[in-house]
Amino acid sequence: MRRRADVLLCGALACLGLAGALAAIPPRQQFTVPAPGSYRLESIQAAADGAVLESDGTAGPLRRYTTGKVTLLSFIYTYCVDPVGCPLAFQTFSDLRTRLLAKPEMARRVRFVSLSFDPTNDTPTALRHYAGNLAAPGSPLRWHFLTTRSAAELRPIVDGFGQDVSVNVDAQGRPTRFYNHLLKVFLIDARGRVREIYTTAYLMPDVIFNDIQTLLMER
Amino acid sequence: MKTSRRLLPWLVALLLPMATATADETCNSPYLANLIKGQEDYLHVWTLGVPGLGDGADKLVTVDVNPRSAKYGKVIDVVSVGGRGEAHHMGFTDDRRYLWAGRLDDSKIFVFDVGTNPAKPKLVKTIVDLPEKSGWVGPHTFYPIPGRMLIGTLSNARDHGGATGLAVYNNKGDYVASHAIPTALPGAVKADGYGYDIAVHPNKNVMLTSSFTGHKNYMMDLGKLMADPAAMKNFGNTMVVWDFKAMKPMKVLDTPGAPLEIRWSLNEGDNWAITASALTSKLWLIKQDERGEWQARDVAPIGDPAKIPLPVDISIAANGKSLWVNTFMDGKTRLFDLTNPAAPKQVYEKVTGKQVNMVSQSWDGKRVYVTSSLLANWDKKGKDDEQFLKLFSWDGKELREQWKIDFTKEGLGRAHHMKFTAKPSGVAAISGPAIADRGAPAR
Repeated sequence: MRRRADVLLCGALACLGLAGALAAIPPRQQFTVPAPGSYRLESIQAAADGAVLESDGTAGPLRRYTTGKVTLLSFIYTYCVDPVGCPLAFQTFSDLRTRLLAKPEMARRVRFVSLSFDPTNDTPTALRHYAGNLAAPGSPLRWHFLTTRSAAELRPIVDGFGQDVSVNVDAQGRPTRFYNHLLKVFLIDARGRVREIYTTAYLMPDVIFNDIQTLLMER
Repeated sequence: MKTSRRLLPWLVALLLPMATATADETCNSPYLANLIKGQEDYLHVWTLGVPGLGDGADKLVTVDVNPRSAKYGKVIDVVSVGGRGEAHHMGFTDDRRYLWAGRLDDSKIFVFDVGTNPAKPKLVKTIVDLPEKSGWVGPHTFYPIPGRMLIGTLSNARDHGGATGLAVYNNKGDYVASHAIPTALPGAVKADGYGYDIAVHPNKNVMLTSSFTGHKNYMMDLGKLMADPAAMKNFGNTMVVWDFKAMKPMKVLDTPGAPLEIRWSLNEGDNWAITASALTSKLWLIKQDERGEWQARDVAPIGDPAKIPLPVDISIAANGKSLWVNTFMDGKTRLFDLTNPAAPKQVYEKVTGKQVNMVSQSWDGKRVYVTSSLLANWDKKGKDDEQFLKLFSWDGKELREQWKIDFTKEGLGRAHHMKFTAKPSGVAAISGPAIADRGAPAR
């Protein structure tokens, strides 16, 4: 299964002609992770809400995708190749997807959400193409690839999560296709509360997997 | 191939340093966003108000420190926050867009937007509920963790003594949780509950905390304090090793004499930290032994400990091979060779002021900034009460003063903590027109 996840990642990057050029750089984990349930994840903030579009074009509130299950959410853009940015998030999600699919009962209580920074390029159609089989509705673990109708609708969601982002401009002051953002992955409980946030240095699959289990153990 | 060529300009752009990332000091967490490694543009100084001087209030002073600027070495902005509450330390949020600055007396925390325009920081929030929410007072260290600020405090609201803890706020400024520094923990070393600095090593899942003294002591006149044997006993003598993920103290380390700032080596692959104890004037190495147990060992004296030079701030080089140490009493800035961190050797010293406190070096190690104030009631008196910000160049052999801003003459106050920022260039906020109208073709 791990090999399949890697193939899917390579497939996503190959469409940009960049496979192999920029491998995601994961942080080095030099410790044994505390056992699930042996620690508490604090309630950090409420997950932001707003209007989003599913990759099949369905419109709805973001809270539909952040409540009812344990959710792992990150902001992405499909052509990001920063080795400590979106590709690292993709690799981490793919790793966790493999682990969760090995435990279908657990996988059904979890969902992944990738929400685009770039509604102009990342239309539902583009996201559908990008996601491929990862977004298959029949999978025990649903992975939703979402976008928004406009940057104006995206802005409050980004701000609500506390996700910094800006876009580079060219010499004429026109926006380019490069977004500055600190990679953040948000772990959200079934009640829509952010319970952990991982930035690049903290994005370790073993830790996230145990954090998911910790939330699933809560009553 | 055609696709690759079309994408090449984007690829090149992506491999370039972040547009906002051009300068930094080494005392920031290397796990922050956009750690900046060239010439810094601005230096922010968290400054204590002095009665009768200017408006008398605590303030954030911004200095232009880019030598290419017409305002190089000049104060370009002052944000007065009103009143005096013992302005002390600051820290960036994880995305570096906001700078949190605390006051040790009234426990207020001021949040400045330094991301929008670092030349003109804007006060956007004042947090006043730390004592009420956590029970702790004296917010000292502001250490960014993902989406949150971990605040190391010095004292407690109950008796203003040394037992204290850590408070966690989210980046919006809302209280999340608190964690007591242990006063009892199994092991050979007695836990004392004192707090001061924080430093996390994510790869090791280890957090270290150090210790100082409580509100009753740090608000007392230094001469009176040092003449009071009972009060002098009320300083922390320990560091604590925490399981960071679980926020559980694992071990108490014996580090007598108020171990203050903690710096992990920034050299990739290094797994050790160093601190300096103020009252015993020693450098301490914190490292795992052969069995994986974290241990603290004093590895070098700083000056003559018998004379209590009072080491205050330290600044580690980006390669982890050297360390600047400021000693308050003798006004010296010293350099230690850390090539062997188990046996640091002093290789240089210079008197940089009548009293010196904070020291921050640029990432490339060529510039060293020094400020003068320790605490309002601990600073020297009379003509020795110099208050300044100085820039020194370092060529590997000699510190040379480039300029000095006299904070008394300028009517600003007592210069304390420093943070660097850089001019944002070539970026725009995402908004409707910003990305909807962009000229670049879609894939």
